[in-house]
Amino acid sequence: MKKPKKIAIVIVVGLFVYLSMYTWNLRTGHLDALSSYTGLDISGLILRPCVWAKDRVTGFWERYVFLVGLKQQNDRLRDLAAELKRKNMLMREGLHSVARLEKLLDFSPPPEWNFSGARVIAHRMGPAGSLDTLTVDKGSASGAENDMPVVCLDGVVGRVLRSGAVASSILLLTDSNSRIAVIGDQNRSPGMLSGQGYGQPLEVRYINLNAVIDPGELLLSSGLSGIYPKGLPVARVTKVRRSDISLFLTVLAEPLVDVAGLEEVLLLKRESGHLAGQAPADEEAEAGVLDQ
Amino acid sequence: MFSTNSLLTLLWWALYTILGVSAQKIVPGVDFLAPGIVLSMQEEEGHRTVILAVAWILLLEGMGNLPFGYGLAWYGLLVSFYFVGRWLFEARSFLFMVLLGVGLGVLHPVLIYSLSRLGNLSVQVYPTLIEGAVQAIVFPIVWMLADQLFPKRLRQDVKSL
Repeated sequence: MKKPKKIAIVIVVGLFVYLSMYTWNLRTGHLDALSSYTGLDISGLILRPCVWAKDRVTGFWERYVFLVGLKQQNDRLRDLAAELKRKNMLMREGLHSVARLEKLLDFSPPPEWNFSGARVIAHRMGPAGSLDTLTVDKGSASGAENDMPVVCLDGVVGRVLRSGAVASSILLLTDSNSRIAVIGDQNRSPGMLSGQGYGQPLEVRYINLNAVIDPGELLLSSGLSGIYPKGLPVARVTKVRRSDISLFLTVLAEPLVDVAGLEEVLLLKRESGHLAGQAPADEEAEAGVLDQ
Repeated sequence: MFSTNSLLTLLWWALYTILGVSAQKIVPGVDFLAPGIVLSMQEEEGHRTVILAVAWILLLEGMGNLPFGYGLAWYGLLVSFYFVGRWLFEARSFLFMVLLGVGLGVLHPVLIYSLSRLGNLSVQVYPTLIEGAVQAIVFPIVWMLADQLFPKRLRQDVKSL
């Protein structure tokens, strides 16, 4: 056999094997799981000491050396704590009334969620990391699972994309593959929030032309998809435009969380026994779709 | 039992991997391990390069967030470029490394775009073009540094074709 022919055969066979392996993995996810339980975990183990050392050094500097503005910060935090206490006191009674009324009207109680903290050890890593993600130091050994909601104190951060044994990668809400079902805080107009990349505004899709939504309105998770609990703050509306050629409003929003500056996040886990009747993301994940 | 050279090789590549992963955390989208594959092909026996490549493919795929396949295509094509290039260039010349870097710089956005299309994912192309440009610059520099620091007693001359 001539050499060019041999090379052509090798290329065609190689391409065929590669594409077969790729599609097989898309369907089964076995190779993704293998790389998560090896590569993701090993990179997590490598980075953890670096993050620990950096935290120690910066912590020492901030706590014992660089104390400029500490008094002012302390005063601000005291005021904030007092204000939050006042608000909490007023809301507690309302919450009890709601619980009593829901019981009276025979509403089934919403699922309970457990929080567990995780430390961010890296953001996007390596040449194959083209989606907006971050890596946290908790994996399946600590109860992390794919599609678990991830939040911080300001609002929704994203969801677990892949989990290894001791590390997980989180798909951020700013990524263009992220979809979160939301509802307006005041006017209750539902829509689908999708990212457009880091630094770009979020887009709220499928809001009817006659729906009411105002700039500045808070968008909460609607809980319709079964991944995120209802009522988590996600984003704030920045712009509402009426299009002449579309059936939907063009609505832009900004995330409540500064994803670039995140150091700690909370993973939310639904308490067992509340899964009945829910249609979680398993079906979507099986279909190879990343969005919610 | 490990010989002293094997132990030294293991330690050297472990340290290289740790530094490479840390660098990839700082500069996202750029592969600092790829020059190590070329260095290993130049200085070591083939089976060691295969072991390194398998370990680093798993590492790249684990750190990344695309469906499995990028690392395999990335290192597979790098090795192909290297063997094809050796017909024309001196295997250890800096110019050859610059050309390999440019090849990888072009390959990165092409691979990301193709694999994201195959996986039905939406990926922004512009950042990958910048990452490709950075990869083209970083590759020969990292190769040169690693080549300078690679222990002499572990070197095994590889004849050019």
